[in-house]
Amino acid sequence: MLQLVVGQLLNGVIVGTLYAIIALGVTLTFGITGIVNFALGAFMMLGAYFTWYFSDGLGIPYPLAVVLATLAIALVGLVADQVLFRFTRNNLINGLIVSIGLISVIVAIVLMVWTTTPQNMHYVLPGVFRVGGVIVPKMKAVVFGVLLLVILFTYAALTRTWAGRAAYAYAQNPEAAALMGVRTKVLQAGVAAYSAALAGLGGGLYASLYSITPEIGAGYILKGVEAAILAGIGSVMGSFAGGIIIGVAEGVGSIFLPSAYNDAYGLVFLVLILLFKPAGLFAVSSR
Amino acid sequence: MKLLLLWVPLVLVPLVIHNNVVLTILIFTYLLGILAVSFNLIFGFTGQLSLFHAAAFGLSAYATYLAMAHWGVPFWLGMVVGVVFVSLVSLVIGTICFRFNLRELYFAIVTLAFSELFRLVILNWNSFTNGSLGINFTLTPTLWIPGRGVVPVQGTMMWYYLSLVAVVLAVGFYSRIVHSWMGRCFASIRLNDDLADTLGINVFRYKLIAFVAANAGAAVAGSLYSFYISYIDPHYFSIDQSLAIIAMALLGGSRYVAAPIVGALVLTALPHVINVNAEARLLIYGLILILTILVMPRGIVGVLVTGLRRPSRAPQTPERPRHAA
Amino acid sequence: MKSRVSIVKAVAASLGVAALAVATGAYSQNVVKIGEIEAQTGALNTYGWMSSQGMRIAVDEINKAGGFEVAGKKYTLQLINPDTQGNPQQALIQLKTMIEEDKVKYVFGPFLTNVFKGIEGYARQHNGQFLLMGGATQIHYELGKPGNDYLVRTWNWDAGPSGFGTLMVDYLKKKGVKKVAMLMQNDAFGHVAADVYRDAFKKAGIEFQENWFEPGTKDYSAVLAKISAGSPDYLFPGYTDAVLYDIVQQATQLGLTKFWLVRGSLGPALKNKDYIDDYVAYIPKYFEEAEKSEPKVKKFVEAYKAFYKTKDFPYDQAPLCSSSCYDHVYMLVEAMKKAGTVDDVAKVKNALESFTYDGLWKIRYDQTGEEVINFDIVDVQKGGKITVTHEQPR
Repeated sequence: MLQLVVGQLLNGVIVGTLYAIIALGVTLTFGITGIVNFALGAFMMLGAYFTWYFSDGLGIPYPLAVVLATLAIALVGLVADQVLFRFTRNNLINGLIVSIGLISVIVAIVLMVWTTTPQNMHYVLPGVFRVGGVIVPKMKAVVFGVLLLVILFTYAALTRTWAGRAAYAYAQNPEAAALMGVRTKVLQAGVAAYSAALAGLGGGLYASLYSITPEIGAGYILKGVEAAILAGIGSVMGSFAGGIIIGVAEGVGSIFLPSAYNDAYGLVFLVLILLFKPAGLFAVSSR
Repeated sequence: MKLLLLWVPLVLVPLVIHNNVVLTILIFTYLLGILAVSFNLIFGFTGQLSLFHAAAFGLSAYATYLAMAHWGVPFWLGMVVGVVFVSLVSLVIGTICFRFNLRELYFAIVTLAFSELFRLVILNWNSFTNGSLGINFTLTPTLWIPGRGVVPVQGTMMWYYLSLVAVVLAVGFYSRIVHSWMGRCFASIRLNDDLADTLGINVFRYKLIAFVAANAGAAVAGSLYSFYISYIDPHYFSIDQSLAIIAMALLGGSRYVAAPIVGALVLTALPHVINVNAEARLLIYGLILILTILVMPRGIVGVLVTGLRRPSRAPQTPERPRHAA
Repeated sequence: MKSRVSIVKAVAASLGVAALAVATGAYSQNVVKIGEIEAQTGALNTYGWMSSQGMRIAVDEINKAGGFEVAGKKYTLQLINPDTQGNPQQALIQLKTMIEEDKVKYVFGPFLTNVFKGIEGYARQHNGQFLLMGGATQIHYELGKPGNDYLVRTWNWDAGPSGFGTLMVDYLKKKGVKKVAMLMQNDAFGHVAADVYRDAFKKAGIEFQENWFEPGTKDYSAVLAKISAGSPDYLFPGYTDAVLYDIVQQATQLGLTKFWLVRGSLGPALKNKDYIDDYVAYIPKYFEEAEKSEPKVKKFVEAYKAFYKTKDFPYDQAPLCSSSCYDHVYMLVEAMKKAGTVDDVAKVKNALESFTYDGLWKIRYDQTGEEVINFDIVDVQKGGKITVTHEQPR
């Protein structure tokens, strides 16, 4: 039993970082452009398809395929921002509806190109680590490591570099930041592309673990938004923690609770957080 | 009253067109039209994006049937049960959301969470709802018709007139609300609920009224729709269904009471008029959502009335500084 | 504003009528129309897709050969197959069009339960006027009930003396299996499968554990770890390839290496061939092998490639052609010839139930109107070694 719990604790942390990378994108876009971009889930799905296609279709080595897919998704994110979301800045409802529309468009195109048949990438790194009866697939460990690095890198970049500080300042007070010389439009486009790249990277890594279908984006964006809100939208390390909390709750929860209501536990928790700690779990002051 | 006359052509349609298929498309248009018109009360007129509408539709369908099956009540009483049940549920959810002052995204997410919770309960309560297999109806609604007595509602003709009457009543009902002083309160909440509050409007109360009244309309639509198809399953609650409702309201025009019916007609008839596959259909839904927001925020009817892009690009809700909340 | 709404509606309605009038076209005396109510696109299109692929070829072959003769008169076939997209509302409108506008008497499909449920009420009202020949699981429960003469189920049932599931369980029993753990999605077919196989395993004296997951799950490690702790001999996982690839991969990582399944392809086994120990699957026909040993299958594969101008034959989907597909069109034509009528659906149905058709499959219908076919049990072992057992239910 202990093995089972420890195993699921570990697995939950790993699965949680995949939620966290989406949550990070959600938080960054929200901070800078004032909307919640639900299409980040679709970007992630597209990243998975691109990686699979580059690697299994074109024969590009997997690490390079992930990098290429990430860059491609950054471009997709940039185009979507300039063509669509530029017109919905700071308008949550319009942004929400346009992003839902964009999801439908992306899913439809993916279906036309790659059909409903689930795609499966070749195994990049088969095999498992066994530590005292706890089993961790090797690839999962690698995915965890990469995502952790990217999240820490993003945190460092936001707090240590000029561009990062500019972004931070803008999220706190747009007018003041603009007066201080922050170029608003460039910043917004840059953050939109970076958030999309994070989602694309998440998708590229996802492709090495699970089968790829057009619906995967929906599940991950819901968990990502959940994670971002859970810890208080706008906080980088908060979205990391939020992702891991959801991952662990799912993994450990399904050992003890009937799994048919698996999604319900998270939802109830989320509603309670929104009602009683709307600024997030770790917020010091309330709204 | 004069406006009522404008519905007359629709009364005459079955006398002119003896095509069952066209009439069936119109029946679905009216039934989904009720759904979209009622959604527009909370969305277009009050400015709150509720994602509970599909759930209200489905819950009422289940409640109506289960009341008929377990208590032996006739359809119309079953529908009352459905509407009352949905209204009570909406009262509770609305009170929670508005008491805690959930807005915009947070309101959308919490209403989505509640609709998912209800879907999961319906899906897993096998002994009561038959779970994912759904329920096949053997019961039919009945009507008292002068000279013929109580007859079951069967066949395309009866359903056509029943659904037409229902949609006319729904439009009348919501039009009364929107054009009353309540409608003005809704409008001020849509424009700026902080300001509305300062003006002495009880924001909580009017949001709650709009939410409950909108969901009650979805409940009526749910009862009728499920008995027309005579089958219910948890797909009634799906996110796709919510998406279709938003698309209908936006496409028709979210500023006009009856306009969402036009959206319902286009989206219902489209796959049968032009041969589109499921992928193209999804693509069209997506483009409708994007284009109506960015290019045609007043929808088809708005364009017919005022022309494209005029007056300017009016957003569904006004831009508001984020930090005011 | 309202007047404009009405105008828009009137215009749209008349456009609809015009389009339908064009679509219906001229009606020819010597054409037998066959319809198909199936999802060609959408999330659950796999079943419908394969059956319409096969039906188109059969219709084309029959017409190119000059049609067929019934009671001294020559007929050709016309196939009407709209796309339900898996949406009951759409399917209902399409079935109405078929029956009322096109006067279709023979409709194939549907495979999807929700679509069948959506059209069932309307179909029953037209009992005796047409035949609905589909593979949906739910059709099984409606067969033989009063007022349901219109129904034929074109797929073999799991349970019962002729059921393939019974033979599948026997196959496992012969291997000396004591304990099987099911991991099934919590949806319509998942529950049907649990009901059927709970009984079948009980009769065979094999212990049966039930585990559920929500559709859309990708990471099964928690529930698989739980299952693995109970050390079952075989895992009986969900029924679509979308979940099977993930389950098989993740199960082998946790040391569960033996699988037994009643729906789904061999793909997951072949991809994980170095990690599995055994993978037993029900495959209506193992085309890769049958193509070499059965001339009719070889001919079909070639006809498929020629008709669709492709080099790739869909080996993984082709077994689904055992329902409402190529053979079934030929069998229907045979039945019309035997009945001596193309209009009397009751006579055609009786004829359909009176003989065994020998095509890609040996197909007959039992007295309730349900298909019985020969099928294959394919057993994949570590390294990818494949053994095929041909089964012929009584």
